[in-house]
Amino acid sequence: MLSRLVLVSGGLVQASRSFHQSSQSLAPVPPLPEKGGKVRHGIFPEELFTLLYPKTGVTGPYMLGTGLLLYMLSKEIYVINHETFAAASIGAVVIYGIKKFGPSVAAFADKLNEDKVAKAQEVKDQAMASLAQGIEDEKKEQWRVEGRHMLFDAKRNNVAMLLETNYRERLHMVTNEVKKRLDYQVQLQNLHRRMEQEHLVNWVEQSVIKSITPQQEKESIAKCIADLKVLAKNTQARATV
Amino acid sequence: MMVSFFDQFASPSYLGIPLIAIAIALPWVLYPTPPARWINNRLITIQGWFINRFTNQLMLPLNVGGHKWALLLASLMIFLITINMLGLLPYTFTPTTQLSLNMGFAVPLWLATVIIGMRNQPTVALGHLLPEGTPIPLIPVLIIIETISLFIRPLALGVRLTANLTAGHLLIQLIATAVFVLLPMMPTVAILTAAVLFLLTLLEVAVAMIQAYVFVLLLSLYL
Repeated sequence: MLSRLVLVSGGLVQASRSFHQSSQSLAPVPPLPEKGGKVRHGIFPEELFTLLYPKTGVTGPYMLGTGLLLYMLSKEIYVINHETFAAASIGAVVIYGIKKFGPSVAAFADKLNEDKVAKAQEVKDQAMASLAQGIEDEKKEQWRVEGRHMLFDAKRNNVAMLLETNYRERLHMVTNEVKKRLDYQVQLQNLHRRMEQEHLVNWVEQSVIKSITPQQEKESIAKCIADLKVLAKNTQARATV
Repeated sequence: MMVSFFDQFASPSYLGIPLIAIAIALPWVLYPTPPARWINNRLITIQGWFINRFTNQLMLPLNVGGHKWALLLASLMIFLITINMLGLLPYTFTPTTQLSLNMGFAVPLWLATVIIGMRNQPTVALGHLLPEGTPIPLIPVLIIIETISLFIRPLALGVRLTANLTAGHLLIQLIATAVFVLLPMMPTVAILTAAVLFLLTLLEVAVAMIQAYVFVLLLSLYL
């Protein structure tokens, strides 16, 4: 009730300010307390015990409870009747249920909340991981750019080599063609000389043969025969010896 | 003044002020509204999870048109469960033991399903009056029987809830009285106490009662 009053009055105060003069004081919202208020024996808040501690010590609230109960029973303010047993049995069932299933239900609720947080956390982690990956990739690209000149050099060398090879091939071709032409000329000259030579030799032979008179011919033949006879004699002589 | 076992079912009033309004409005207090936060405390998380799960289950057999009933049926279920469970505590009054309340739930909701069914698909709704594959001579008799069963439904719904709860509470009172009276003579008490306990756990099948109620309401939805 009081808190509601405070909130309403707070709202009124804010409404009386002009708009957008300062930041709203309601945000950020204060966090919820992690656990509920502390209770002892499941029902009695711990504040009762803390309240009574200075005057009556540790046993104070228990004495108060016992005294109250006995008073109500003796004065018959609370009458024990059949409902008491019904209350006792339902109390037993409730307490048994809470003791048995309480922790597991609490753990389940906590798990639900944790799953929610884990999902959001996973989204955040994934986003961060992908961004970090992006940074890595960018750095790699920058490093690659630095090495680009080497690539260009290699390519330039390649092209230069190709040009050189092409030039040399053509040079060779040219030389070969020129050589072929020159060889042809050389062969031609050789042929000329050979033909001249043969022609000359033939002419000389012809003239020599023409110049042999019959007289000379007879003389040479007789000489040949005489030589042959001498040779035969020599050979026969050598054979008998 | 003769104290009878039926006094617990009298509508409570104090100095002439009917307290039944408080008894009916009390369950609303017990379920906190989820605040506008992302992660809540355990109670609200479990409450939200349970209602979600239950509504999911409830809406499974229905097509999309029937999902309009989700809010009504879910809140009805929560209301009835809470009232019945609170009635198990001693010295409390259970509003659902009053026939007036239960008929007040049953008749309008049943009538709504019938009228909506008639308005949207009159032929199909009328067709439900005759099961498939009946031999021809039996048709008139069967139509009469089906009509009677249709009209008895709200009566059955209301009276079923009332009777179950009233009988349960009465039994608790009786057995508790028996235990109380037999206390001077010891041994029997133990056995009877055990019986009371068992009956109580069965009575926390009041929850199942509500399932039955809402589910039957659901079955009458041929929307």
